[in-house]
Amino acid sequence: MLSELINPYYLQIASFILLNIILGVSIYITLATGQLSLGHAGFMSIGAYTSAILTLNHNVPLVLGIVIAAVFTGLVGVIIGFPALRLHGVYLAIATLGFGEVIRVLFVNWENLTNGAIGIANIPHLGREILTLSKDIGFEPAALGLRNNQFISLAVFLLLLIITIAVIWFFIRQNNSRIGRAYASIKMDEQASEAMGINITYYKILAFGQGALLAGFAGALYAHMTAYISPSDFDYHRAVEILIFAIFGGSEVIWGPIFGAIFLSSLPEVLRSVSEYRFMIYGALIVFMMAFRPQGLIDMNVMNWLKRSKSKKKEGKHGTGSKENQ
Amino acid sequence: MNKNIKLLFSAMMVCLLVILAACGNDTKGAGGQANEAGSDGPVKATIGVVSYLTGGGASYGEAITNGLKLANEELKAAGEVDLELKIEDSAGKQEEALNAAQKLMNSDNVDAIIGPTLSTEMFVVGPEAELNGVTILGTSNTAEGVPQLGDYVFRNSIPETMAIPAAVEKALEKYDVKKVAILYGNDDVFTKAGYDVMKQVAEDKNLEVVTTETFQLNQSDYKPLLTKIKNLEPDLILASALYNEGAVILDQARKMGIDVPFVGGNGFNSPEVITIAGDASNGLIVATPWFAQKDDEKVKNFVEKYKEAYGMEPDQFAAQAYDGLYLIAEAVKNAGTNDRDAIRDALAEIQGFEGVLGTMSFDEDGDIVMEPTVLIIEGNEYVVFE
Repeated sequence: MLSELINPYYLQIASFILLNIILGVSIYITLATGQLSLGHAGFMSIGAYTSAILTLNHNVPLVLGIVIAAVFTGLVGVIIGFPALRLHGVYLAIATLGFGEVIRVLFVNWENLTNGAIGIANIPHLGREILTLSKDIGFEPAALGLRNNQFISLAVFLLLLIITIAVIWFFIRQNNSRIGRAYASIKMDEQASEAMGINITYYKILAFGQGALLAGFAGALYAHMTAYISPSDFDYHRAVEILIFAIFGGSEVIWGPIFGAIFLSSLPEVLRSVSEYRFMIYGALIVFMMAFRPQGLIDMNVMNWLKRSKSKKKEGKHGTGSKENQ
Repeated sequence: MNKNIKLLFSAMMVCLLVILAACGNDTKGAGGQANEAGSDGPVKATIGVVSYLTGGGASYGEAITNGLKLANEELKAAGEVDLELKIEDSAGKQEEALNAAQKLMNSDNVDAIIGPTLSTEMFVVGPEAELNGVTILGTSNTAEGVPQLGDYVFRNSIPETMAIPAAVEKALEKYDVKKVAILYGNDDVFTKAGYDVMKQVAEDKNLEVVTTETFQLNQSDYKPLLTKIKNLEPDLILASALYNEGAVILDQARKMGIDVPFVGGNGFNSPEVITIAGDASNGLIVATPWFAQKDDEKVKNFVEKYKEAYGMEPDQFAAQAYDGLYLIAEAVKNAGTNDRDAIRDALAEIQGFEGVLGTMSFDEDGDIVMEPTVLIIEGNEYVVFE
C-alpha cells in the first residue's frame, strides 16, 4: 500500500523544491535589510565544495561536513559583508555578482583541490548514506514494503522537509524579534534607524552572514543530493534564478520567496507535457508578473487579506487586531 | 505568532496533499508490467529518452532525437521489436535531467533509457538508474568514468581517451613531429577532459610540450596565445576546443601564419568548423566515430533517409543515437522480454554489432569498443586521413 503511493519522481521534485525554498529564504534574509545580493550562487558553491571535499577527501561524516560547510560559508559572508556595507542597491548587486564569478573562476582554476571544470563526482549521496546507516542498525526498507530507491527518496524528502520547516520557523521567530524589527527599520530608512540607535553595521553584516550561511547550507545539501558538482552549476544563471524566487513571490514577507520557489520550481515539471514550449511559458509568465505586479505576488496586503478572510470565518470572534504582527 | 505557525503548517499540509494526490494518480502500473513475448508477435518495450531539447545545446538534443525517431521507424517496419519512445527534456541541467529520469523510471516505467546528452547529467542520472535497475545507454557522453558508474550504465560514444590518441598516432606517422603546443579551454568539462588526455598522449609519445595555453568559453581573441605559440615553432598543435571556439582559433592562427596541422578532440569535429573558418580549417585532424562519406551501404542508406526526413546531413550525435537505439533493440530482441534485468544482460553480451558507426562491442564496464576513423580537412572537406 505504502509502496504504491511513494513515487521517487514526485519526491525528487519535492526535494528540489524544498532546497529552492531554503535558497529563497536565504535571499529573503539579505533583502530584508534592503541589500540586493547576486552572490548567492557563489555562497552556494562554497558550501557545496567545502562539504564535498571534506566528506570525500578527509572522511568527515556527512552531517558534520554539511554543518562545517554552512558555518564556513557564513564566515565568508561576514567577511564579504564588510566591504559590501559601503555599497547600495545596484552597486552592491554588481559587486556581489563579481564575487560570485570570482569564486567560480577560483574553483575552475584550483585544480588540485576542486578538479577544475570537470567537477567532483561520487560525492556521498544523502539518501544512499541514510540507507546504509539504517541497514547498519538493522532496519531494512523492505520491512515497510519499500524498495530501496523509494526509501532513499522518501528519507531525503522527509529530512529536507524537517530542515525547511525548522528554517522557516526560525526566521519567522526572528522577524518578530528585536533583530527582525531592526532589519525592517533598516530596510525602510537607514539614516532614520541609525538615528534611533540601531547598530546598522552589525545588523547589515548579520543579515548578509545569515543569508550566506543559509545559501552555503543549501549548496552543501545540493552537493549531497546530486552527488556531482562542477563550477558551471553555480554560474550567474543560478544567482538570477535564486533572486527570481524572491522577485516573483515578493520579498516583503517570508512567504513570498517560499511561494516563488515552490511555484517556479514546479512549473517546468507541470509543463513537461508541452515540452519545448515550457521555458517560453515560464519566461512569459515572469514578464507578465513584472508588468502587472512588480512587488511580487505575495506582499503585505495579500497577507492581511488572507488573515482577514481567515478571521472572518471564525464567527463570534474579533477579526481585528495584531495586523502589524507580520 | 500562533497564527504564523498555523499558516505554516496548513501550507505544508497542502503541499503534502498535492504531492500525495499526484503520487496516487500515476503509479498504477508501478512494478512494471512485464509482458512475456508471445511466440508470434514482436517484443514490446518502452524506451525512455532524456535529451537536451531546450536551451543552449538544443541542437544536440534535436539531432539525437531525430536519429532515434528514424531508427524507431525502421525498427517498426522491420517488425522484430515494437519499441515505444518516451522523450523528456533535460534542458542541459543536472536537476532537470534527474527529474526527467525519475519520471521515466518510476511514473512511465520504461524498460531502458537512452541519454542524457551531457556527461555532467550522466554523472547524476547514472547512479540513480543503477539503483533502480534500469539499463541506461549514453549516446553522447565522452567523459572518463561514465560506464564505471554502474553495471546498468553503458555508452556507445567513444571517449576522448580513445579518440585523441588515435588522431595523434596517425599524425605522428605522417609528419615529423618533435615539438607540440597544447591549447585548451579550461572552464568546460569537455575541453578540460580532452586536455588531460592530450597531456598524457604527449608524455607517452615523448613529445616535447613547448607550451600549454588556456582560454575560456566564448573568448573571441586568441592572438596573444597564438603569437606565443608561433614564436616557439611547434611541429603540431593539439587543441582541445569546442567547434565554435576552435574554428575561430584556426582562423586566427592561419591568418598569423601558423601553418602546422592541428589535432582536435571530439568536440572539434563538426561540419560547422568549415563553415566558420573556411580555407583556414584545412589541416585539422580529428578522430571520430562517425564519417558520413564512408563507402558503406548502411551509412549511405542512413544519410539518405535522414536527409529526406529532416533536410540536413546527420551529424555524429544523430548517428550515435541511431546506432544506440539499434543496440537497445538488439538487446530487447535477444532478451525476448522487456524485463529490465534481461535487457541489461542481453546488452552487455552484444559483440560485433554492425551499425552505421562501425563494428561495436561492449567491454566489461559497458564501454564501447570500436575503431575510430581519423579524418583531416583538406580542400574544405573532411576526408579520411591516411
